[in-house]
Amino acid sequence: MSGDETARVPERRRSVRKEPGGLGRRLGSLEVVICCGSGGVGKTTVSAALGMAIAAAEDKRVLVLTVDPARRLATALGIKGIGAEPVRIPKARLRRAGITITGDLEAAMLDMKQAWDRMIERYSPDRATAQRILRNPLYQRITDSFVGSHEYAAIEALYELHDAGEYDCIVVDTPPSRNALDFLEAPSRLTDYVGSRLLSLLSGGPSRFGFRAMNYAAAPFVRLADRLLGAEVLAEVSDFVQQLQLLYDGIQGRARSVYRLLRSPQTGFVVVTTVEQGPFGEAEFFCTKLREFKMPLRAMVVNRVLPDVFRDPGGVAAATTLVEDPKVAAWLSKELRLRVSADTARFVGSTFLTRSTLAQREVRQLARLGRIGDVPIVRIPLFSEEVSELEGLVRIAKAL
Amino acid sequence: MSSPAGMPRRSWRPSTAVRSAIAGERIELATLLRRRVIFVVGKGGTGRSTMTAALALLAARAGKRVLAIDVDAKGDLAAALGSPPAGFAPHVVQHNLSVLELRTDESFQEYLNIYFKVPRLTRLTPLARVFDFIATGVPGPRDMLVVGKIAYEERRKEPDSRAPVWDLILVDCAAGGQAESHLAAPKAMLTLVRGGLIRAQVEWIDALIRDSRRTTTVLCALPEEMPVVEAIELNERLRNGSGVAVDVCLLNRAADEPVTTAHRRLMVAMTDPEHADAVAQRLGGSAAPLEAGIDLQAHLNDTTARYMRQLRGKLPMPVVPVPFIVDRTGLTTTRAVADALSSRLS
Repeated sequence: MSGDETARVPERRRSVRKEPGGLGRRLGSLEVVICCGSGGVGKTTVSAALGMAIAAAEDKRVLVLTVDPARRLATALGIKGIGAEPVRIPKARLRRAGITITGDLEAAMLDMKQAWDRMIERYSPDRATAQRILRNPLYQRITDSFVGSHEYAAIEALYELHDAGEYDCIVVDTPPSRNALDFLEAPSRLTDYVGSRLLSLLSGGPSRFGFRAMNYAAAPFVRLADRLLGAEVLAEVSDFVQQLQLLYDGIQGRARSVYRLLRSPQTGFVVVTTVEQGPFGEAEFFCTKLREFKMPLRAMVVNRVLPDVFRDPGGVAAATTLVEDPKVAAWLSKELRLRVSADTARFVGSTFLTRSTLAQREVRQLARLGRIGDVPIVRIPLFSEEVSELEGLVRIAKAL
Repeated sequence: MSSPAGMPRRSWRPSTAVRSAIAGERIELATLLRRRVIFVVGKGGTGRSTMTAALALLAARAGKRVLAIDVDAKGDLAAALGSPPAGFAPHVVQHNLSVLELRTDESFQEYLNIYFKVPRLTRLTPLARVFDFIATGVPGPRDMLVVGKIAYEERRKEPDSRAPVWDLILVDCAAGGQAESHLAAPKAMLTLVRGGLIRAQVEWIDALIRDSRRTTTVLCALPEEMPVVEAIELNERLRNGSGVAVDVCLLNRAADEPVTTAHRRLMVAMTDPEHADAVAQRLGGSAAPLEAGIDLQAHLNDTTARYMRQLRGKLPMPVVPVPFIVDRTGLTTTRAVADALSSRLS
């Protein structure tokens, strides 16, 4: 979209001419800011923009920890690529894009595999155990398919970074989940998983004779499982599980510290959503869950809201006439001394009406947000430009 | 978006998948609906349920006996067919069209029951939990339940005539990654399960998934950055991972009502100070805000066109735009999408 085309839409501009400082300042005193929400709502973009807004409002060292699966964020931020090692975003480049940051802005990308490997190494009682787990063919599968495994890796990385204390503020972009709750439940789920009694059942408990030495009561089940799956599978699983159990104490201890961090006053959750029904419903649900988990919700960001102009009553009336009045094209032709076909008039009316119907629906939906409690709700208008450009990111940062 | 200018219309044939790599080539609806099983996949929010429901309506309209399966079991598919939430047993929605919803626990019991004549008993629960654990870590079992049930329905015969119960099974898959592991499950399982009763079952399910004459995938996308990138990646992983065919990509919410100079000229004239008052009087309100509608439409057209190009460049299959339907989800929307699909899938 070219620049002059934007210039023709002053409404869209006006809503973002706010100086940075709103949400940036509000969240700037926190040590950890966690952005949550369903996939596809622009979480990665909002996280990056939030980091930018915080660094603009406060003289702080800010790190944006992202999952950026499309790797477009790196391009947008003007750096070659984001890896596990934090990369500094050049201030000059940000200034050229229209934002001056007083603090420092860095970005890092979460490396899931690395996060898991390090975790195994940390919690293993000895190197041999760690090596055995890392080499087990099931290990990769588990880390990939275990519900919440990506979330857990993200939390671990966050915890470590926070612990190291190199940054004043860490903004985390949570991995796209099927369920936003996965993030909150990941630590306890992993603890349950590794410590479950079923695992002991499968692994044959502390006797370490493998599943054949299993609890007598479980024998019929195992025989059936054996018949269904074949013996090798169970043997492999059993071996893996035995190793995994050695990590239990470490993982349980860490889960407790992680929850302490997530509930601490230095942490804040920002729920990101769009006005679409699915993500919106999930965001509402997530907000109530945060309260249940006693984790602090600090703000809600509603992305891609239709600009106010689509709710202009005069505009709606004019558009309706253009669509419904069969004589309007003839009248326009005469008044404007321009040949206006009925189709042209109808089109101009209907493109507005379509959006205005949606905009009305959005208003009703946004009204429901009053119920989530006393937190700032920031609306980001639907911009006509791609946010993968740095300028787009800056515009969102300013809207925040 | 109408058919691309200068592009000869050719009917699309499954055996010449390579040829379909030519951008803009079309797929015939009849060809698509001739399959036995169609998996509808895509990122959350791309309109999978609506697309599945619309294809189901079209197939039923064409006289096929259709079963629509919801893997996510959030009730979206049933809702898109104007039906209350369905259960594990096929539930008739309209003539020739039934819907069922898969839930893992029930699937597991059903699976044991169907294949191994294990009675559905509550005392199996500890075993179910052991399985649940293995299923989490080991590729296969959980996903196998899903594909297993689908394969079972595909094989089901009428007791008297021995004719298949369903002509076409449409599957509204779970979001992206999950669909992938469902479809890849048999292959993964074959490398892991070297013996046991399950292997034989897995082998024929794997064969069904890989048979491009019987089974195919429909990929859903939106004209937005992430959904497009993910559709491209998903296509690659599906083909490599499970060997399933991918026949067509449906680009949902495609904007394709071009903004012309006539529209722009009218807009400029209506807001010209010379006429603005008279126009506002006649129309019942100022025309100025209407420009935002035109601008947004133009922007969405551009975005759609750009992502269409990107998809067509990267996907070796026809990419079909499906217009944005403003209605809320439900049967009305589904019917509108079905009409759009039938006109665009020549």
